[in-house]
Amino acid sequence: MITAEAAIYRARRDLTLGLILKGILIAALLACLLIGPQGPRLILLAVVGGIWVSVNVASARGSRLAAASPSLIAAGQFEEAEQQIDEAVRAFSVFRNVKLQTLEYLAQLRHAQRQWKESALLCRAVLGHRPGSVRQRNKPCRLMLADALLEMNEVGGAWDAMNGLYAQRLSLSEVLHLLLLQLDYNARIGAWPHMFDQIAGKVQLAELMPAPAAARAQALLGLAAGRVGREDWLKWLRSRVELIGDVQKLCTDRPMLWELWRTDAPKE
Amino acid sequence: MDLTPPPNDALNVPLLLESSEPRPRFAWGGYALVGFILVLFFSSLGRDDSLGSARIMQVFSVVLMLFVLAGLPVWSAFAVRALRDEQQQVEAVGELIQLRRWPQALLMLQAFLSRPARSARLRSQGLIYLGILLGRFHRFTDAVAVNTYLIDNDLVDPATAYGLRLGRTLAMLREDHLFDADRAISELRRLTAGGDSAGLALVQIYRDVKTGHPEDAIALFNDNLPILREQLGHRAADAYALVARAYDLLDRREEAALAFSRATCLAPSMELLRRYPELEKLVGRYTPAPAPAEAL
Repeated sequence: MITAEAAIYRARRDLTLGLILKGILIAALLACLLIGPQGPRLILLAVVGGIWVSVNVASARGSRLAAASPSLIAAGQFEEAEQQIDEAVRAFSVFRNVKLQTLEYLAQLRHAQRQWKESALLCRAVLGHRPGSVRQRNKPCRLMLADALLEMNEVGGAWDAMNGLYAQRLSLSEVLHLLLLQLDYNARIGAWPHMFDQIAGKVQLAELMPAPAAARAQALLGLAAGRVGREDWLKWLRSRVELIGDVQKLCTDRPMLWELWRTDAPKE
Repeated sequence: MDLTPPPNDALNVPLLLESSEPRPRFAWGGYALVGFILVLFFSSLGRDDSLGSARIMQVFSVVLMLFVLAGLPVWSAFAVRALRDEQQQVEAVGELIQLRRWPQALLMLQAFLSRPARSARLRSQGLIYLGILLGRFHRFTDAVAVNTYLIDNDLVDPATAYGLRLGRTLAMLREDHLFDADRAISELRRLTAGGDSAGLALVQIYRDVKTGHPEDAIALFNDNLPILREQLGHRAADAYALVARAYDLLDRREEAALAFSRATCLAPSMELLRRYPELEKLVGRYTPAPAPAEAL
């Protein structure tokens, strides 16, 4: 099993080597176009072209190696995903995008394995690159980082990670993910009125989430409703959570939610 | 919420299937390759000529090479951008459907399918959304046709095809094509062998309610309740509502009332009624779950 530190080190080393190689190839290309006798220039041109093609093929192979890992992670086949990502991390690539993508996939795998510290470390490594080069990965990595930090109870770091998302245009699935993180964060800092604010809209969005996430979001909203004295919302949301979620599992993951079922209010 | 079916000419399904077909595009890559070969050719021409002509050829080959080198990334950037725009358009349709903004989704999808798609994958995704919208506007025959087109032409992966088969079977049931639906359910059962499918359980419960076999519907519901909750989330409301109808058919009023209350706790009764007209008899007879005023 490759550690986060080792993967980050390898990625950085490959990026530096790739940069040097690209510089050498561009210099060689210019040289064979501008200076020297015609015959050797053509040979050098062919050599440069050959090296460029082989480097591209190797980079594409690395990208292809890791491409199947998200579906393997989603299917819970962690060992297979680990193997593929490990090979991709070890494969040389001159393209920054391919290396960063591999790190992102490894972060996803560690996240799914609930190794929050490793996942956070990898997300931070990806986000540490130039904004232009991580534009595609910025939002998923920030969401994953915030999630990992909340699981580690590092609420300050989680807020920083989420804060970078508010100025960006998010897709609906990203909005849903962010809403769940916000609710989790606000519950940890006790911002109950803020959670209850515009609750109807939040519940409508929660309905679009997969069942476990929808149950957690509505349970957190129910908790907020109870704290602001809205028993009607509390009872309604609690009934919904019982219908779509596993209360035992939900409360084991977030013990503060036991409060919803400890209340004296009669159950529906 | 606009439930008015669009006029037939607003969604001309055969026309949209034809107009969205991807067309072969201008082969820029081939021209770039020819350009590259020309560079090599002109470079070699300059070798044996007089000094002046060699110099001209050299400059020409450098300019041509730079043109090829600069042109390829520019062309790639344009192509990628166009493809990304199209992808965003299709994703936006998906989001509008999720947010139940049906008329806006319909307009955007029509614009997308009215011209050749840049990628077969995006076209397939667009057609999947077309099937959903047609079902939403109660044009079940067209929805069945679109789903059949996608399945028969192998335009989607097996998992997506399974989902389309489920949607197609529900549409068949809505159109009272019970024989076709029964055959489709057998096919789905064969495909599901060894696995649990909440979608299939829901389709079968609907079939049993529709064909007057409420005991079978109740047994199916009880056997599959854990996966219905886990896989369907809020759409488990559909199963609760259908089983409420099954209990009602058997005159088991208390159980029907409880199931109806659970269904309406997860989804409004009007929405359930729109999905399953058979539930009409429950509305008024049983009380929906109480909900906060702001949630209604």
